[in-house]
Amino acid sequence: MLRTLSIFLFLLAAAALSAAPDASRARLLAALVAPADQQVAAVRALVGLEDAALVPTLTAWRAAELYLVTTGTASPVPALLAPLPGDADGRLQALAVADGLPVKDPATGQPLTFAPKELKALDTTAPLRRAIRDVLEVAGVADPSPAVRRESIERLGQSRKADHLPLLQARLAIEFSPAVRSALQDAIAFIQLADPAVEVRLQAITDLAAAHSLAAAARFKEQIALPADAPGAASPVELAALKTAVKTIEDHWSRVNFFGNLFRGLSAGSVLLLIALGLAITFGLMGVINMAHGELMVVGAYATFVVQNLFAAAFGPGSLAFNFYFLAALPVAFAAAALVGLVIERGVIQFLYKRPLESLLATWGVSLALQQTFRLVFGPANVQINAPAWLQGGTALYDVAFAYNRLFVIGFAVLVVFGVWLVLNRTPLGLLVRAVMQNRQMASCIGVKTTRVNMLTFAFGSGLAGLAGACLSQLGNVGPGMGQLHIIDAFMVVVSGGVGNVLGSVAASLGIGVTDQLLQPVLGAVMGKILVLFAIILFLQWRPGGLFPTRSRSLD
Amino acid sequence: MSAPAKLSDVEPRFFTRAQWASFIVPTLVLALLLPLLNALLPADSLLRPSDFTLNLYGKYATYAVLALGVDLLWGYLGILSLGQALFFSLGGYAFGMHLLLMIGKDGQYKSDLPDYMVFLGYKALPAHWEPFYSFPFALAAVLLVPALLAFVFGWLAFRSRIKGVYLSILTQALTYAAALLFFRNDFGFGGNNGFTDFKRVLGADLNSPATRRALYIASIALLAAVFLLYRWLTRAKFGHLMQAIRDGENRVLFSGYATARYKLFVFVLVAAITGLAGALYVPQVGIINPSEMTAEKSIEAVVWVAVGGRGTLIGPIIGAIFVNALKSWATREAPERWLYILGGLFIVVVLFLPGGIVSLPTKFRTFLAKLRRPPSGPTAS
Repeated sequence: MLRTLSIFLFLLAAAALSAAPDASRARLLAALVAPADQQVAAVRALVGLEDAALVPTLTAWRAAELYLVTTGTASPVPALLAPLPGDADGRLQALAVADGLPVKDPATGQPLTFAPKELKALDTTAPLRRAIRDVLEVAGVADPSPAVRRESIERLGQSRKADHLPLLQARLAIEFSPAVRSALQDAIAFIQLADPAVEVRLQAITDLAAAHSLAAAARFKEQIALPADAPGAASPVELAALKTAVKTIEDHWSRVNFFGNLFRGLSAGSVLLLIALGLAITFGLMGVINMAHGELMVVGAYATFVVQNLFAAAFGPGSLAFNFYFLAALPVAFAAAALVGLVIERGVIQFLYKRPLESLLATWGVSLALQQTFRLVFGPANVQINAPAWLQGGTALYDVAFAYNRLFVIGFAVLVVFGVWLVLNRTPLGLLVRAVMQNRQMASCIGVKTTRVNMLTFAFGSGLAGLAGACLSQLGNVGPGMGQLHIIDAFMVVVSGGVGNVLGSVAASLGIGVTDQLLQPVLGAVMGKILVLFAIILFLQWRPGGLFPTRSRSLD
Repeated sequence: MSAPAKLSDVEPRFFTRAQWASFIVPTLVLALLLPLLNALLPADSLLRPSDFTLNLYGKYATYAVLALGVDLLWGYLGILSLGQALFFSLGGYAFGMHLLLMIGKDGQYKSDLPDYMVFLGYKALPAHWEPFYSFPFALAAVLLVPALLAFVFGWLAFRSRIKGVYLSILTQALTYAAALLFFRNDFGFGGNNGFTDFKRVLGADLNSPATRRALYIASIALLAAVFLLYRWLTRAKFGHLMQAIRDGENRVLFSGYATARYKLFVFVLVAAITGLAGALYVPQVGIINPSEMTAEKSIEAVVWVAVGGRGTLIGPIIGAIFVNALKSWATREAPERWLYILGGLFIVVVLFLPGGIVSLPTKFRTFLAKLRRPPSGPTAS
């Protein structure tokens, strides 16, 4: 008997689920046109109804914007009024609640139109409006979107009304999304905190502590702070449980924050590393102060912007191919920045290899001219770069959020460092580069074409700046002044890492990035940065040559 | 045709008679004649320099002092400091604090507190502001605050023999950090907007022509005094030592000189004097804010020196005036071209005219000499 009943119920549920839109819509419509004395009950019965039209319809009803449209002989149709598209007289069409389509004249088949105020809105009474409000309050629990469900469940939990308990428990039985389930459990525990039974309350406290709910911690602290004789104060047993729970939750979140900051620090360090690697090559290996390095980075960022626009024009901004524009932009950014770098080297820097201080001034002049060019070509405002879908959003592991774009930057930096190491240490070009950097005259004497090596090395370093710019375009704003923001940090990395040393740059940029991010929550963004700068100055007292100084016997 | 030069001709101790004349005459014209003409001639006279012109020249004079400092460090000592604008603004801020307190109750909020403090909800004047009611204290701060910062930074940097490009980058970072700090509201120096709306100095109305003339004369006098001081320093044995440090620090070190101390002395001295210039700059332009202490401003000052001619003392003055005049012309006529002009100026001067404007006559003369005396030797057949 029981078994037949459960099978029957299961079939019923299955039927309800498969026919959900129609069946639930019918219940909604029935409530709208129910006789006046049964209407409040009918509306209250809508609680938990899974229907997309529920919220808009009830909201309109409460605001007196729901209408009954009479069409010929048929029974009146509940409908919402909407402006008639392309009509200048301000006439309105009626969208039926049943299917969301315009109500048509049964005789002509044409949509009916109305002048404003022609129809009279459906009446509501005070008890009815209260009923509608109560239904709307919990409507989100059955919303098709998990995010909406979660938010409204959390709100119900915060309200701590015991009336919501049955609804939430019923939902928990059928909810499938893990995130919403955990929100449901939290909300239920939250409501149970006010349960008359001590065991239930203690269990709820334990549950919330295990769920690491921050809202619960705040609530617990309030309760702990209550004087012992105040109403609602906790018993000694409960108090102990509350204190343990608060500690568990706070420990958890401070760990999460620490790892989150560590991760952000690693990704900030990776960005720094990408910028500083190019600098480590042009400044470290070649001894040239390229103040235009930041602008070369901006060239890469704008190259990404141009490629993005080309892809959007060719494939459409929503298409699948558009998502791969970034992969195409990377080599373009490298090439564009390398080309600009080549021009700078030929035009200015080749004359200044023996005058490093003056190369600083001349390249600063170049950077001014480049900035102005960006302003003239791309406008003074930041340009809009849309991250491809696979770089948006993120994932969370033990509550620590990992944004995809930051993960990507870390991975990309690892790749680039490896690539630079390969080029410098495992290719003929790298051999020549190192030879020229160690002793330009000697290399020249044994037949190395030093001018060409200089040219290529500088272009390579500039190209790396372009790659950094392409990456940065996914993390922040792209504008003409963007280069200046990062250049000083990058110089600090090269100085503190030790000149002419890729490994030093890696260590220094990660160190600076992580320290910066760990200090920021404590001291604020600006003070953290300033402290890092002073730390670097002090660090150079201890090791003037940086982390990994180049050892040399030569003296000027 | 030229007699062999005696050593005393090549390096006169201080000034020859002609040099004295060429120093005193322009100084007197600028410091006395122009203000007199401005004060006595009727407003429509063609010979009368306008109030605006005097104000502009006064501003240029303070810039020239800043440039002289950059030059003493860079041209004579080989230290390219990108932090000079920081010392300039620190002096400006110190004096600005005094000027701000001198507004009294005439501010927008009719309060004893400076306007921005009222706006930010301060209840009382912070303790470190109190002494700035006193003019002598403010003057001392103008000199000592930049000097102290220069001392601490210089001591750390020169002690560990950080030099050349590294020092430039570190001074740039220092400036950057300081600007970040001053941009913050809760640092207590007016944030973005800095100090402005000054009303009076030493009881005199800042907007009256007489006060403005006095400030102008003070600026020219400061420039002349600093020029003489630096001239004396560079001509003395000390000056030779500075140039020796510039050209080969290790050799000087091995000869038994504590080069770090010499460098520190010059660095601190220049910082204090630059601070003084900043203090004179602020009442003349009527505002000081953190955008004055950015690294870009420092580099701009380096350009003045490079354009004028580094390693000479007249060069920075010419450069400061020339570049700033060019800037006010360009920002008026073609604002979008100014960065191109400035950037181009950098590149051209560094690549083609390392001696700056002051080297032009010599270059021109050698060019003429070449024209007159065609190269001897076999001509092409």
